[in-house]
Amino acid sequence: MHSISKRVWALLALILAFAAGSVVMLTGFAMNGERWASNRANSHIFSGGSVAIAGGIYDRSGMPLAVSKDGKRVMAESAIMRKATLHAVGDPEGFISAGAQSAFRDILAGYDPFNGIYELTKYGKGSDVVLTIDANLCKTAYEALDGRKGTVGVYNYKTGEILCMVSSPTYDPLHKPKDMDGQDKYEAVYLNRFLQGVFTPGSTFKTVTSACALQNIPDIQTRTFFCDRRYATGDGYVICRAKHGTLPFGEALSESCNAAFAAIADELGETNLRSMAAQLGFGKPFSVDGIPLAISTFPAGPLNNLELGWTGVGQHTTLANPCHMMVIMGAIANGGNGVNPRLIKELISPAGHTSRYGSPRPKTMLTLDPFLAASLQPMLCANVTDIYDPGLRKSGDLELCGKTGTAEVDGKTAHAWFAGFCQNPNYPYAIVVVGENAGGGFDVALPIAIRVLNAMK
Amino acid sequence: MPSRRLSIPVRVPWFWLLLLATAFQLFSFAPLLLDPERAELPLYAALLGYIPLEWLFLILVRALAHRRHVELEILGLWLSGIGLAVCGSVSADYALKQLAAIALGMGVYALLMGIMASPDLAMKLRTPAAVGAVGLLALNLLLAKVINGTLNWITVGPISIQPSELVKLAFIFVGAATLEKLQTAPSVTRYLLFAMGCVGALFLMRDFGAALIFFATYIILAFLRSGDLKSIALVSAAAVMGAGLVIYFRPYVANRFSVYRHVWEHIHDTGYQQTRVLMYSSSGGLLGLGLGQGKLRGVFAASTDLVFGMLCEEWGILLAVLVLVSYLGMAAYVLHFARQARSAFYAIASVSAAGLILFQAALNVFGITDLLPLTGVTLPFVSRGGTSILCAWGLLAFLSSVTLGERKEASLAQE
Repeated sequence: MHSISKRVWALLALILAFAAGSVVMLTGFAMNGERWASNRANSHIFSGGSVAIAGGIYDRSGMPLAVSKDGKRVMAESAIMRKATLHAVGDPEGFISAGAQSAFRDILAGYDPFNGIYELTKYGKGSDVVLTIDANLCKTAYEALDGRKGTVGVYNYKTGEILCMVSSPTYDPLHKPKDMDGQDKYEAVYLNRFLQGVFTPGSTFKTVTSACALQNIPDIQTRTFFCDRRYATGDGYVICRAKHGTLPFGEALSESCNAAFAAIADELGETNLRSMAAQLGFGKPFSVDGIPLAISTFPAGPLNNLELGWTGVGQHTTLANPCHMMVIMGAIANGGNGVNPRLIKELISPAGHTSRYGSPRPKTMLTLDPFLAASLQPMLCANVTDIYDPGLRKSGDLELCGKTGTAEVDGKTAHAWFAGFCQNPNYPYAIVVVGENAGGGFDVALPIAIRVLNAMK
Repeated sequence: MPSRRLSIPVRVPWFWLLLLATAFQLFSFAPLLLDPERAELPLYAALLGYIPLEWLFLILVRALAHRRHVELEILGLWLSGIGLAVCGSVSADYALKQLAAIALGMGVYALLMGIMASPDLAMKLRTPAAVGAVGLLALNLLLAKVINGTLNWITVGPISIQPSELVKLAFIFVGAATLEKLQTAPSVTRYLLFAMGCVGALFLMRDFGAALIFFATYIILAFLRSGDLKSIALVSAAAVMGAGLVIYFRPYVANRFSVYRHVWEHIHDTGYQQTRVLMYSSSGGLLGLGLGQGKLRGVFAASTDLVFGMLCEEWGILLAVLVLVSYLGMAAYVLHFARQARSAFYAIASVSAAGLILFQAALNVFGITDLLPLTGVTLPFVSRGGTSILCAWGLLAFLSSVTLGERKEASLAQE
């Protein structure tokens, strides 16, 4: 009997194991509950895999973009509005992973760890999400893209609010085209090109090379370069689009002279250029209200002289994400502080309480030495006043500054880029336009940017 | 060193504890009783009938069996009341059947209590119990093949029973009652053969959950009886090797467990139940969506195997944690008293029954939440199911035997 009374302590081992298991299970609920509850198979929220009952999605002015009515999801009224805002709002089935309906589904489901989705069952909806975008501006941008593939993004570089975000190709979610798969005009239609796309940046990358030159070559502002339509590196020629002759640094940027920039890259060397690209966010993971951006990449090294020359003008295997390029422009306009974009303006709980999402103050995504920002600003503005405006791309009183890009891609028409910002304090906007295989930056992307920015006045 | 007193530190009179349980039950039944769409006599009868039943049961247990300690019984009544409400929220028919099972379970409890109180009778009954248990499993194996249904069920007319649940009771009874001869080799061998027969039969029925429970219980019993860690380790190693061989020669067994820790990759097939438990349990939050408001109830085996998920979703995670705590409480209670139990028979019966309940609850709760492989066992006292309830109440008698024979009760029991 005595030995038995000792052996019963074995039960304690089971008790402790059971208690430990319970703690592990509850920790799992605390840590993953939000993700589990907002799973697409949860029939409290989804019906046949589509969002059925959830909070509404509105644009910054309160225009409904997707709301639940009688267990169905109702979208914006006009077809063009639905197309223009598709990638911001997302589709009900969740193919568009960067859209609000997928990315913010936990909020829309009204989940909180204390009540679970009780609010959803009580009020028939979760929290409403008011996006920072202006749906009318998206429509303008979509019209300006005029059927081209590509993207237009505009944000306030002081507050971080994304005002315009359009990705093309798009479709009307109410009349979803059949067999989009394999059709060229619907290539990667579910991709939000602004957040999730990467493109060869072409000459817009000369902004990065310029920043690197301003930091590492003390007399760069007084230096001149010679262009006879090409620049000879030890491994071959970097070709320029024109014979620019002798030109100073600022003019080399305005004229977008490849020969001059290949020479600058050559002088800077791979290490310096790579380091500046990294400082400006190439190779770094960023996110916008929890939605990860595609990562911009600087070519893998070591680079030979020809590759380095082409990299200096934004070619070779350099890839840039449009949203990231927009933030670089924002940083230049904003004294070096590249404010992290945001997509959620505010949340409205089912009980009607309004709250902000995330940190109340704008967060910083990347920083640039204020001296470099101050030096780059007049150069980018001179691009517009000296070259673009006289070339009949009139930007008026926007005080537009920026850089075009025509990114050569193998065997296809070039990508048309424009990345820039307004210096006018009334319009604290940075913008990026990419026309995918659409032609030249000056011809295609710049007019779209000017049209969209003018619509914001 | 633990104290020698035979009481729990703070004693609340049974009357108030049961009143508290009753108040909880009325509160939890209310949404069903007040819902005009559910208004039907059988539902009222099933739910409201439970309250006089539990009071009568406890008064009789105290009066006839002279039991001073009824805390375990109150915990059992509280858990059964939750299970009954879950059944009622699904259908009145389920609730009536569950109520009948609880009443029968109380009968099994009384019967076992009576036998346990008389150790001589218990010793005489152990061989018939062992033979009966093995016979029942053999019959199950034979009949189940003929019926070609799920292998661990026997269906007689409108009644389906799961023999393995009843055999659990015999398993502990035989294991604890052979104790007095524990040092003799033939007795140990005979029990080992009995245990192997049970586990083997369950394996053949492909009821791996029950086989595991029996094996774990055997280990506990064997340790309590012999204290011989070496031979227990040997038996365990042999069992693990045996299981390995089974998996090697019968790959479908391994397939059944391949979804373990990968349930989200099989959300539409083999991980269906576990993922639904996780997503709907998190949907409930701490306080739950309300009885009848959940979606897990639409999933296969919701009120049986997945009932813990229904508790999380509809009753809230707080209540679900309270249920887990009450299993822990039962075991801690047994542990507290077992050291001073009047006989080794009671100590072994109560500790092994507590181990079985904890082990089965762990297999159930952690199985459906993917912390352990899913084996499809029931949650004691709470899951819907007649034989499962009978077994739980029978186990409760073993648990309660831990305080049998203290002071007056001892003399009464021996009269």
